[in-house]
Amino acid sequence: MNNYWLALLGMTCITFTCRYLFFAKKLPFTLGVKTKRALAYTAPSVLTAMWVPIVFLSYQHIEKSFLDSPFLIAGLITIALSLKLKSTLLVVIISIAVFVALQLIYY
Amino acid sequence: MLGSLDTSKNTTHHGNKQQLIYQATADILPLAIAVIPWGILCGSLAIKIGLSPIQAQLMSLLVFAGAAQLASLTLMGGAGALSSIFSSTFVISSRHLLYSAVFREHVRQSSFTTRCCTAFFLTDEMFAVTCAYLEKYKSFSHLYAISAGIVFYLVWNAATFIGITAGQFIPNIESLGLEFAIAATFIAIVIPSINSFSVLMSVLASGISVLILSLMNNEHALIIATFIGMATGFFTASKDEEHE
Repeated sequence: MNNYWLALLGMTCITFTCRYLFFAKKLPFTLGVKTKRALAYTAPSVLTAMWVPIVFLSYQHIEKSFLDSPFLIAGLITIALSLKLKSTLLVVIISIAVFVALQLIYY
Repeated sequence: MLGSLDTSKNTTHHGNKQQLIYQATADILPLAIAVIPWGILCGSLAIKIGLSPIQAQLMSLLVFAGAAQLASLTLMGGAGALSSIFSSTFVISSRHLLYSAVFREHVRQSSFTTRCCTAFFLTDEMFAVTCAYLEKYKSFSHLYAISAGIVFYLVWNAATFIGITAGQFIPNIESLGLEFAIAATFIAIVIPSINSFSVLMSVLASGISVLILSLMNNEHALIIATFIGMATGFFTASKDEEHE
């Protein structure tokens, strides 16, 4: 189907442009001190805006109450683990294992 | 390929190139492992919707943006118009504009090839580890950033390939909750990065706003919450010293 090729092409252009735009030399624009200071909070803000809905709102898509949601329970355990453990790898592996275990218990 | 990039001036103070590549690989590997379920989901969903295996793989090879890929696949499955596929891709990818703004001063003077490579491999995960590196060593390394990006790219595409070839054998792949792996990764990045009062405030503000906006079904929840978080961090920065 032709549309899929067009979709692929368009999406490739859009994602690359978003990533490249501020690397362009021709863009006549210098970041002020204040902008730079605000940009320092980019990573924690974006990533939080992405993980919070998964942990706290996923119960809406499965037939579970808020407190029974494996997303919530495993998410809170991940937060606790990431405060205790230094290794990101360990945190990721243990929390995914906890989530899978919860899913298996529930279904 | 990496040898031709102008990284030499950045690598001299901390170890040789090989060490830097090794470090980048070690730092991004946990995040790459966590993205495997998502890649499998993307690959198998693409096939289910009717993309050919080549189109499905090319999507991960060229677009290389998990969230945007999943969203547009859902739209394609529902016979969404091209315009809605493109606008959702833009809304979801707009956070990369911020990433490229953050790296601008470090990347702008590099060669065209280096700038293109850094941009192409710029994902949430590559941004996160490169920011951590920048914070730690107070210098930007193209070699580090691009190596981390390439490792992530290879894992993402291998996972997509598994999804394309084996996805049909995994029942109910959409309902397994594979997105939890992404949440776990981002928690593991964000929580240890909270090293000051203002970062804590930006995380809380972003998290609370995204919840409220999502419950209101605001389609721009992600980007609005991000700006609220950044603004909160910026305006509470003056309180950092009092709390230390």
